[in-house]
Amino acid sequence: MSELNMAVIKPEMMKSYIWIETADGSLQQVEQEVAMFCPFICHEVIQKGMGSSKNHAISLPQRVNPAMLSLMLDYCRFHQVPGHSNKERKSFDEKFIRMDTKRLCELTSAADSLQLKPLVDLTSRALARIIEGKTPEEIREIFHLPDDLTEVFGACANYLLRNFFIFYDCNIDSVVQEEKLEPLKNITDDPRIRLLNRLYAKKRKELKERERIKNVEAEEERVDDRSVDDLLSFINGEDSKGIKTSKNKKKNRRKKDQQKNTSPSEVIEINEQESNGLKGSDLGETSEKQDVTDEMFASKPEFDDGDVDDEIDPALKEKIDREVEDFARRLNSDWPERMQEILSLGQDMKALHHSSNGNGTIRKYTDPEQK
Amino acid sequence: MQMGDVAAPDLISDLPQSIIEIIFTHLPIRDAVRTSILSTKWRYRWATLTELVFDGTCVTLCNDRALVEKSIVNFITGALFLHQGPIHKFQLSTTYLQCCPDIDQWLLFLSRNDIKELILELGEGEWFRVPSCLFNCKKLTRLELHRCEFDPPPNFKGFSSLRSLNLHQVLVAPEAIETLISSCPVLESLSLTYSDSLDLNINAPNLKYLFLEGEFKDVCLENTPLLVEISVAMYMTDDIAEHFEQSSSCNFIKFLGGVPLLNKLVGYIYFTKYLSIGDDPGRLPITYSQLKIIELHQVSFEDMKEIMVVIRLITNSPNLTELKVSGSSNSLAATEEEYDLDVWEKECPSDCSFNHLKFVKMTDIAGVPHEMELIKFMLKNSPVLETMSITPCVFLKDRKLSMLIELVKFRRASDQAEIVFVQN
Repeated sequence: MSELNMAVIKPEMMKSYIWIETADGSLQQVEQEVAMFCPFICHEVIQKGMGSSKNHAISLPQRVNPAMLSLMLDYCRFHQVPGHSNKERKSFDEKFIRMDTKRLCELTSAADSLQLKPLVDLTSRALARIIEGKTPEEIREIFHLPDDLTEVFGACANYLLRNFFIFYDCNIDSVVQEEKLEPLKNITDDPRIRLLNRLYAKKRKELKERERIKNVEAEEERVDDRSVDDLLSFINGEDSKGIKTSKNKKKNRRKKDQQKNTSPSEVIEINEQESNGLKGSDLGETSEKQDVTDEMFASKPEFDDGDVDDEIDPALKEKIDREVEDFARRLNSDWPERMQEILSLGQDMKALHHSSNGNGTIRKYTDPEQK
Repeated sequence: MQMGDVAAPDLISDLPQSIIEIIFTHLPIRDAVRTSILSTKWRYRWATLTELVFDGTCVTLCNDRALVEKSIVNFITGALFLHQGPIHKFQLSTTYLQCCPDIDQWLLFLSRNDIKELILELGEGEWFRVPSCLFNCKKLTRLELHRCEFDPPPNFKGFSSLRSLNLHQVLVAPEAIETLISSCPVLESLSLTYSDSLDLNINAPNLKYLFLEGEFKDVCLENTPLLVEISVAMYMTDDIAEHFEQSSSCNFIKFLGGVPLLNKLVGYIYFTKYLSIGDDPGRLPITYSQLKIIELHQVSFEDMKEIMVVIRLITNSPNLTELKVSGSSNSLAATEEEYDLDVWEKECPSDCSFNHLKFVKMTDIAGVPHEMELIKFMLKNSPVLETMSITPCVFLKDRKLSMLIELVKFRRASDQAEIVFVQN
């Protein structure tokens, strides 16, 4: 729009325009009454007298690029007209926010920098609807969030975070920071807990092996860079031999970590006592984790759950192994729904149906870029 | 597993915390807390939320009630422990918790964290007794309690910032409520439901919205000059009715005598009857010049005193835009009585005109003479009326035709007026 056009004023459209410059340097003229709907622009015009000419164009904050400006002006153009009914406005809003997530995030950011509160609310609600009810993997994929918790805290702790946090109301911090790999208290004698405890037993054994092989390299345990797939294949490949070893380990128990002065068997109780102290701790403090492999516990019954196997006949052992396999494969699917299933169906594991999502999610976990 | 993938930049983590908070307020708390396992940046983003709303969706429900209760308690305690910063709003709405000692602990924690809005909606069974630390929440602006016992300590000076008070099924001594209301100087909205047999003098100079529902012995709006909206559903028990028979003071004046700014009045069940008790106020000295909407339900058009209430109210509201009246007459008893139909001529000023009234809705109409007089009166005096909607009551089968015949005769001041006779 050149200033020459502005000189030809049609009597019936005496609209005034103001000049706006976006962060990329491009200038444009915008109908004043539409633009003034944005508090930021309104402030610039009234308090600072900007926008009246090309040289005094209002410069918009960096988060507003021309595409976002155009969208916001569409929004303003509709809503600044007083005649529309609430129903019409709602209908417009619903159509308006139908866009891909990337644009939605950009638009939220742009609306916020221009202080356009109604639009910020609208886009925030839309983003909340996207997040609600989704698993962490799904959310990470949608927003391209890095899954760096695993890198820092290890795969098993991440299992626990993803699947148990809400139901058992564990304090994330104590679980993550200590990566206890200790059996969970199985209040309801739930088969899944039994299985997870066995999974833990295996993982403990494996970590112990690694430590023995590499001698004393404390830093190694900081980061568990085995992916979920690795862990699963380890489990799948492992047979009754693994179980036997864990039983033998039982005899070599010793308590190593003096920092924990409570009985380590019950993760839940520890959470409540220690959560305050852990609240402010730095993510980097993972030194406790070296002790993880030697972390033992006093609660016999839970451990027995996983270790009584070597006294059973091989056929049953195989069945148990298969169950553990199944279980590990399904770990990534949504836990709470399954929990509800289990509790209502009783302890009949066979009644559970395989969810194909389980496998799919695992693939996503290892390579979020693959669709 | 890659970190900081250049090809697909993080879309959301760099949004300012204020926006993330807005997003969180639109999420159930469980989803908000779960974001702590998205990535390292998201560990504690939820923890600075200033509004916490806990309900049954926080945890997975199952058949074991005790387990669910334990889960909810653990979840809330855990969330509060991990939380950082002030908490301005705390809402607990679940029937799984009733009288639970952990709630006391949470309230104590909140009272030390500048709580402004507190909502407790607990289950049936044993009602939760509100601890004294609640009365130390100096910054409280909104308090809502359901199924609690509420007992302010003797030296309680009131909530100086309280704007909104909502007590639903709350066991509280009547004097305590009166004192509470008068000691909250900026109270704007008051809702009392099912706190039975209350005898109330309401002294609230800033009160704008009043909602009452339940059995009230006596309500006097002693000092409520700024009231804009009143909604009352009054239930009557036999002993309350007796109490009224003996009283001679005029309920109409006691209730509506001091509300010049009233904009909307809604009454259910025995409200009109309540207003009719006592001496007839005569021609009122007040004009409700702001009163735009009147809704009176279950009005008995066979009771002269109730009819007078309707007449007084309407004739003193010149700027009425909407009128809704529902009858509760037994048409079978109708024919025996003699009706003093002159009252409409006598008590209504001849120049009475509703120059803004556009919409009238009459429901549960039995065709009783005074109902028809009201309809006639409204049609005659509403020059800009657009719709007069009439719904006959269910058991009126054979009278419909005679009612319609009568209706058709009525004069209409507005040439735009449509009479809509609603068939079921």
